[in-house]
Amino acid sequence: MSRPLPRLRAFAAAGAAVALAATAACGDDGSGSDSEISWWHIQIEDPMMSTWEVFADEWLEESDADVTFDIQSIENEAFKSQMSTAAQSGEVPDLFQTWGGGVLRQQVEADLVRDITDELDDCIDLINPSTLAPYTVDDRLYGVPFDSGVVGFWYNMDLFAEAGIDAPPETWSDFLDAVEALQAADITPIALAGADQWPAHFYWTYLAMRIGGLENLQQAGEAGELSGDAFVQAGELLSELAEMEPFQEGFESATFDGPDGQSATVGEGAAAMELMGQWAPQSQRDNSGTDGPGEALGFFPFPVVEGGAGSTTEFLGGGNGFAVGADAPDEIFDFICHMYQEENQTRMVEDGNFNTVAADPDAVVAEPDMHIALVLEAMSGATDTQLYLDQAFPPAVGGSINEATEGLILGQLTPEEFVEMVNEVWSAEA
Amino acid sequence: MTLSQTSRPSSAEGRLANDGGGNRSRRRPAGRPSGGSIAGFIAPGLVLFSCFVLLPVAFAAYVGFYRWNGLGGIPTDFIGLDNYRNILSDSVFIGDLGRSAIIIVLSLAVQLPLAFALAMLLHQRFPGRTVFRLLFFVPYVLTEAVTAILFGLVFSPRQGFADQLLAAVGIDAEIGWLSDRSIVLYVVFGVLTWKFFGFHMILFLAGRQNIPDELYEAAAIDGATGAQSFRRITLPLMGPTIRITIFLSIIGVVQLFDLVWVLTQGGPFHASETMAITMYDQGFQRNQVGYASALSIVMFLLSLIFALFYQRFVLKRDLQGAITGNAGNQGGRS
Repeated sequence: MSRPLPRLRAFAAAGAAVALAATAACGDDGSGSDSEISWWHIQIEDPMMSTWEVFADEWLEESDADVTFDIQSIENEAFKSQMSTAAQSGEVPDLFQTWGGGVLRQQVEADLVRDITDELDDCIDLINPSTLAPYTVDDRLYGVPFDSGVVGFWYNMDLFAEAGIDAPPETWSDFLDAVEALQAADITPIALAGADQWPAHFYWTYLAMRIGGLENLQQAGEAGELSGDAFVQAGELLSELAEMEPFQEGFESATFDGPDGQSATVGEGAAAMELMGQWAPQSQRDNSGTDGPGEALGFFPFPVVEGGAGSTTEFLGGGNGFAVGADAPDEIFDFICHMYQEENQTRMVEDGNFNTVAADPDAVVAEPDMHIALVLEAMSGATDTQLYLDQAFPPAVGGSINEATEGLILGQLTPEEFVEMVNEVWSAEA
Repeated sequence: MTLSQTSRPSSAEGRLANDGGGNRSRRRPAGRPSGGSIAGFIAPGLVLFSCFVLLPVAFAAYVGFYRWNGLGGIPTDFIGLDNYRNILSDSVFIGDLGRSAIIIVLSLAVQLPLAFALAMLLHQRFPGRTVFRLLFFVPYVLTEAVTAILFGLVFSPRQGFADQLLAAVGIDAEIGWLSDRSIVLYVVFGVLTWKFFGFHMILFLAGRQNIPDELYEAAAIDGATGAQSFRRITLPLMGPTIRITIFLSIIGVVQLFDLVWVLTQGGPFHASETMAITMYDQGFQRNQVGYASALSIVMFLLSLIFALFYQRFVLKRDLQGAITGNAGNQGGRS
């Protein structure tokens, strides 16, 4: 009779103890140990996925740093959401993928990333200074690129020939003619990932750049408002293109990656072109599981719009880089410099098919991959480059540009509504 | 609220009665636990509930009054009710409400009757009954993400199973299952039905099995037809189960996220977007954490108000039955 009661008390006491522990657990989140470098990157395919790891192992062996690595390889879209959750909890990795721009700026303003301006003295000279712009906030450097390039049309020359198109289009009306010719030859002209939205925003941005000029767009960026006719006209031209139905069947729900995504569609030769960055040839191979169009894959810059202020030497571009988390140990800078040694840059370019960021490209890449060479050639003539708008602008504004582009292409928004919608978000952001 | 107040003493009595008398029920008056024990037992649950339910709700309510990108400590830019005003004029959110309403109506009109009919069928005795019960329940066991990836392949535009199936029976229609804005919501509903009808079916089946056979025998002796038995015995006695499944369906729609997110990302252009997707998009993709928090509070209030009203008015009799009348029923039957 008397036994159950003490047991009851013991349970109650244990319960209270658990409660206390839980309170402690929910009050504070433990911070990572100083001796572990956590590293999130988005290279989920070998050989590059392993190469990052090899860099870490080699450096650990060479240096006497008493640290370990926790390396996570995360798919692009998953990385973005995981990163934003991490940033909101204030616990960012020590080293992580960044595209620079407005997202990085927000992270800088929230003290989540380290200022590395004066930390990379041993190797900053090995990086082409012009590639650092997207990672520079108020004249301070917060990231380093390992890949840099521009967006343009990747096209299948065999399919173009089949449709009787001799030369890549140089003007917007040439381009529309090419679309018509491809359709007449029963070839899907363009692959587009409508569901991902960002691949579509390249079209609107480029049209705005070609009509109003890059300077006009940059002024809008500084003013925080899309004003002037160029932005409405860009929407009008894009609507006209969409009305021709140049995109693959089901593009509205297509993603960029994946077995039936934009990249795989071009990789399999099921569409003649895509407007995409320097990573397109590699993505085409990875996603389609084929060798892609191979030597038939060509590249041409976004055509000019007749009467517009822009030229084909103004590019939309950017690349991939790494930023350093606020709590990262100092040893990390030594590691970064290890990665940027010229022989290691060579391995990056070879294994990742990146577009080199080396200050002296010839020392890093003896003979670039044929597709990379096309991008390099385009870049060598570039007069100015604009970072992708969804990265350059604050996430809310970039997100609404992406969303509005999808709406415009699906005929759900007029060009005027597009501009209105973005401006509304932008004015709330200021 | 009223539920927990009335339930404590009566459910204790019920349980004691279930124990069938014996010496344990006699011990109760003597062994009333001390205040310390009560506190000790309540504390873990209370702390966990506070940590993971009350505090986050309170924090979301607080953040909902700010414009905040979620980065860096605590929000500072107080904007009062602006977020809520924006929600009321947000065409996407208004659209979410409409789409949720469509899914709810379809669930009640199609999914639940289907589950009910299958439950009635599987209540009959026939060979292989267990196999069928298992088969119909299997989709519910899959996670929502796996289901969505599976149907993403089924509805894939170029080589998908759905198109090939149609082609195999001679229908060569190019249907944009997930890419046509006018049908994507119904396709999503189809997937939801596939996923969840088994769950409702099991609930109905359990409810049906609780109805004693004697009632049907008595009715049959009185000359009732099958239809009459169904209308006068089955339906009324399954009322509590039906009302609970309706409740679960509606709450489920308000919370709908993973399956739709993986399948369509809410697209094309919001055509299959749900409230939770709008919230996620704003909060985690556009760093509008203040606005997303306000959205979450609106969703919370919608669910709460609905749940309270439904419990107060629709489930009132069932809950009383479950709490106060349960022991009596069982006693009466045995």
